[in-house]
Amino acid sequence: MSYLVLVQNGIAQGLIIGLAALSITLVFGIARFPNAAAGDMLTFGGYAGLFAFSATHSLLATGLAAIAATALLSLLMYYAVFRRLAGRSAVSLLVASIGVAFMIRAVLGVSFGHGQLVYEIELTRPYIVGGVRVSPLDLKLALIAFVTLAAAFGVLYMTSIGRQMRAVADNSDLARVSGIRPQRVMASLWLLAGALTAIAGVMLGMKTIVAPEIGWEILLPAFAAAIFGGIGSPIGAVAAGLILGVAQELSTPLVGFTYKIAVSFAVMCAVLVFRPRGLFGKAEAVR
Amino acid sequence: MNAITHHNAIVADRGASGAPPVLEVERISKHFGGFCALNDVSLSVPAGGLVGLIGPNGAGKSTLFSIITGFIAPSEGTIRLRGSPVDTLSPFARARAGMVRTFQVPREFSHLSVRENLMAAIPDQAGEHLFDLFFKPQQVRIQEEQGAALVEETVDFLKLKRIADLPAVKLSGGQKKLLELGRVLMTRPSVILLDEPFSGVNPVLIAEIIDRIIELNERGISFLVIEHDLEALTRLVGRLTVMDYGTVIAEGAPQAVLADARVRAAYLGGPA
Repeated sequence: MSYLVLVQNGIAQGLIIGLAALSITLVFGIARFPNAAAGDMLTFGGYAGLFAFSATHSLLATGLAAIAATALLSLLMYYAVFRRLAGRSAVSLLVASIGVAFMIRAVLGVSFGHGQLVYEIELTRPYIVGGVRVSPLDLKLALIAFVTLAAAFGVLYMTSIGRQMRAVADNSDLARVSGIRPQRVMASLWLLAGALTAIAGVMLGMKTIVAPEIGWEILLPAFAAAIFGGIGSPIGAVAAGLILGVAQELSTPLVGFTYKIAVSFAVMCAVLVFRPRGLFGKAEAVR
Repeated sequence: MNAITHHNAIVADRGASGAPPVLEVERISKHFGGFCALNDVSLSVPAGGLVGLIGPNGAGKSTLFSIITGFIAPSEGTIRLRGSPVDTLSPFARARAGMVRTFQVPREFSHLSVRENLMAAIPDQAGEHLFDLFFKPQQVRIQEEQGAALVEETVDFLKLKRIADLPAVKLSGGQKKLLELGRVLMTRPSVILLDEPFSGVNPVLIAEIIDRIIELNERGISFLVIEHDLEALTRLVGRLTVMDYGTVIAEGAPQAVLADARVRAAYLGGPA
């Protein structure tokens, strides 16, 4: 029965990793570089949500405020930095994104200190489902994550801008001669990437604490999930995030809290040995 | 008028002589370092015209296409679309202005379905704006339905319906050429530049592609076509321009141009 609890925790952790990994894989597939600022965008979302939650105590308002603030930050990053570096090598953009990450973290640290802040959530009686205690907050957070993922996949696969994003990811030169507006696609990409990391930040903040370093610590598992899922594959990123999250939690009784991340990486390495392009990877772009 | 004369008259009309030009290439030169790829090239495509562009490999035809569509900047010269210079416009902006191209080796959004390839190229959709997706869903839905209807018309027109849900990567070479034609049609073009539309295509599909091009031309779309298959090209175009070593060496009615001694020497291997 305790393993069911671990699986439940793993799914919650996996959804956070999966949302961040989806943001990373979208940027990689369309803007063609690994965005190391994704973790600190997540932290920013956690802070934005914290202040909204303190003011409203509404999960919906918290989620929407975090999305609005982080999506705007993401758009600002694009216009201020990444758009100006368009056409440079992926390494240049990666280094720029590391610089942006440090700037976000520094501003958050200077503004709110390096202490740990918490969402002051009222304790609620857990549901007992098949003998397993399920927190209502966990259910609500999972619901928010699934709604966010459904909205993101809906945008990607059922709308004009989503088709255009996938077209740019597939063949950016062809997209240009087909009349697809590159600026609009990029702006939409960064808004979407910001929204995804915002919800991940709120979930992580509610499940643990809010501090300037929380995003940095989740960045490596998120990158791992993006690679494990098949870089550029949105579905793969989410699936891999869930697998890594559950693997981490299930390994905790065996290896302890400190080494559980290592186990999830071992699982990732084992899969990549047999499937080098990852779970859903066909090529290096969003499909 | 016998059948052959009648056919020649129809084909000659596709040169649309006398019509104002929709596309004008004026004195274009292009140097790559010390190499001169294009030297003072001028040509025009009349509104409603169907013009062929031929020349041996390396004559500069594809470079000229890349300059016309904005992928390469010319060293000198001007491109005009419906009388206005487009030299400062990006490839995307030129496509939006009504000038689109296909490629010698067909290009497609490989992992999007045939329908999605076509839908992606529809311009000015409300669904391109994230804001509208969430705050004007009704307008987005109506435009999506209109776009889907246009795509259905196009897949019917190009006879791609049977494979419309397949990822484009699974199409044959000829089907990809038709898909390219469909994709450029979705942009509502006034002039289409076709780069070797019959290359690697079986004769049945070549006939299909020719029929579709003629039908589109009759609807008012102008064409500039690079092609090495002279038999197919002369069935299609009303005017021919011939390039060699980066310059235009002849232009005019296809039969007259192909009989030109310089053309025979440069391109057809005949005596000058």
